Amino acid sequence: MTPRGIQIISGPDFNMFLEAIMAVQTVIGPRERGDQPGYYLFSRLQRAEDFAPGYKTTTLPPKKILASPKEKLFSFTFDKPPRLRLHVDASPFVLLGVHPCDLAGIDALDHAYAHPPAEMRWSANRKRATIIGLDCQPDAYCFCSSVGTDAARIPCDLFLTPIDHGYLAEIHSDRGRQLLQKANTSNAGEEELAAAKRWRQQKVERIRAKFDAPLERIADILETGGLTPTWKETAKRCYSCGSCNTACPTCFCFDMIDELDPDLRGGTRYRTWDSCQLLDFAMVAGGHNFRGERWQRVRHRWQRKFLYLFRQFGRPYCTGCGRCSRACTVDINIVDVTNQLIAAAKMEG
Amino acid sequence: MAAPDRQQAADISIISYMPERAKVISTHRESSATTIELVLEDGRPLHHSPGQFVQVSVFGYGEAPLSLCSSPTRSESFSICVQPKGNVSRAITALSSGDWVGIRGPYGQGFFPIDQMRRKNVLLVAGGIGIAPLRSLIHFICDKQKDYGRLQVVYGAKTPSTLLFQKETAQWVENPHLDFYLTVDQPDKTWQGRTGVVTEPLREMDLAPDNTIAAICGPPVMFRFVAMELLQKGLSGENIYFSLERRFKCGIGKCGHCQLNDLYVCRDGPVFRYSDLQTRKEAGEAWVPEKAQDAAKEEKR
Ligand SMILES: Cc1cc2nc3c(=O)[nH]c(=O)nc-3n(C[C@H](O)[C@H](O)[C@H](O)COP(=O)(O)OP(=O)(O)OC[C@H]3O[C@@H](n4cnc5c(N)ncnc54)[C@H](O)[C@@H]3O)c2cc1C
Ligand code: FES
Repeated sequence: MTPRGIQIISGPDFNMFLEAIMAVQTVIGPRERGDQPGYYLFSRLQRAEDFAPGYKTTTLPPKKILASPKEKLFSFTFDKPPRLRLHVDASPFVLLGVHPCDLAGIDALDHAYAHPPAEMRWSANRKRATIIGLDCQPDAYCFCSSVGTDAARIPCDLFLTPIDHGYLAEIHSDRGRQLLQKANTSNAGEEELAAAKRWRQQKVERIRAKFDAPLERIADILETGGLTPTWKETAKRCYSCGSCNTACPTCFCFDMIDELDPDLRGGTRYRTWDSCQLLDFAMVAGGHNFRGERWQRVRHRWQRKFLYLFRQFGRPYCTGCGRCSRACTVDINIVDVTNQLIAAAKMEG
Repeated sequence: MAAPDRQQAADISIISYMPERAKVISTHRESSATTIELVLEDGRPLHHSPGQFVQVSVFGYGEAPLSLCSSPTRSESFSICVQPKGNVSRAITALSSGDWVGIRGPYGQGFFPIDQMRRKNVLLVAGGIGIAPLRSLIHFICDKQKDYGRLQVVYGAKTPSTLLFQKETAQWVENPHLDFYLTVDQPDKTWQGRTGVVTEPLREMDLAPDNTIAAICGPPVMFRFVAMELLQKGLSGENIYFSLERRFKCGIGKCGHCQLNDLYVCRDGPVFRYSDLQTRKEAGEAWVPEKAQDAAKEEKR
């Protein structure tokens, strides 16, 4: 996406910019985990120095800020009639340091939640957020170039590319332009534009993990079927723990639970993240389980990401971030398995 | 997409998952299920169509999808018929008049475009609690008698004591506009009616295959056998409708629980044409009787 403007901001100026935003709004961004150095998470930044711009990835995607793992929907009382109160947060915040793959994840969820009947919860939280993207360098798990998200900019307001001594800041919305007015910036020169371009080139060159077929072909392969041996082989290793879904920036299946207040006069209904890999995901009362076999659940995950939602929304529900492969307790790698499927389909002719 | 001819419920636009309040005005307990009659707080009719469902909340317990078993032609209230199967359903069956629940819906696509059924014969096949959504349709058709051809109903239950709507079914037997076939799998000493599964009366029945629409609701194993029987009788897959059960959480195509291949049972169903299900692997897999699945597993070992 062509930016509406490009500015340069130096490192010290950027820190002042962050402090200025923090004075009026919450800033949520990647920071190093205190309990696990070398691992990063999206959480509230207290000081500009908390921001970890060089982070490779986070365990959970920034989706958790917009649809929290346990989200309060409404509260109820046991009066007759019960009193119900919708829970909505209205306070604005800045979501900082979102990599292109994760921007694509947020965009994917924008489409899923807005699809009729549109739900108000996700969109209400999205309206609260000003998003500042940040370019990255891949690790061994990243495969964004295979799913076309390596240069994603939608839906960010500002986008930063690291250059010597600062950032090149692309403006992508009026909101972004307004926010950037808080910063001391200068116009971008040839040299800085070239540096940002070099960054992007290097990034794509360094990506090692790749799908062996284009997305459309993967959808066709999944639709044709005949892949049961590959599903069963993968399922032999899978523990059905659901880590892949939890770490995924585009998974949006959920459950709803009621919790009681300690005084037992009422309670709260929450929505919680759920996982299609868990044994009881498709089980109904009476014990009938519509996806009772592990391989059926493994197959479902691929079909949902690369076939059903791909056909429905014209994009894969996979951003190439590699989180599921990193999180997998038995090293099931999404790229390897997809390539096995592609190879199996080739053998079939 | 399946069922493109059925319009999405367009008026449920902005979803917050917070239900409306509704009051229990009567309950009727039978040995295997309880029928609960409800009104929305503001007394407004629910405006559902037969085959649609509501998400019923008992606060503190949770929410469960339940078919509407009353007809929209009798709009002063609406009813659900609930079997106690788990946490929420048990809490619902424990309700008494004057209690309050939460209602979201009506959701989903009901039984066939009712216009298409006009002047056709209608055959309904219910197994167990599957009678609930079909009862809505039976009332609907009985109330609009002139518009329809013959109405035939086959209803099977495990035992005589688990038969639902017993007062009403006694009337259906007498109703000259309705051919009613009642059967139980396991008769007791007092049972004088038919015994056997629902496909047995079907086999004897005389249908006009080109002018009949069939609707079926029951446990997963029933679907395959009933479908096979009806196809053999010459009905086309487009004229056979199934109401499916899956695990539901949201009821509006968001939470993913009810997915059946590319379909969401809550949003694109719960009522589907057999012809739309035939092409979908996950429908077929669910219809393999569990015993057969077990046998297949044994074989592999
Ligand atoms: C469209 C539709 C229409 C329906 N209409 C009717 C109707 O008219 N009448 C009727 O009686 N029923 C109907 N049902 C079925 C009804 O919705 C279920 O019986 C009900 O939702 C069960 O919910 P529950 O909370 O009572 O059970 P739960 O306690 O939620 O149990 C549900 C099932 O999930 C399992 N389970 C739940 N939580 C867990 C967990 N944490 N770990 C492992 N397993 C778990 C349970 O073992 C059980 O098998 C309908 C269902 C659908 C989809
Ligand atoms: S019940 Fe949530 S998607 Fe169908």
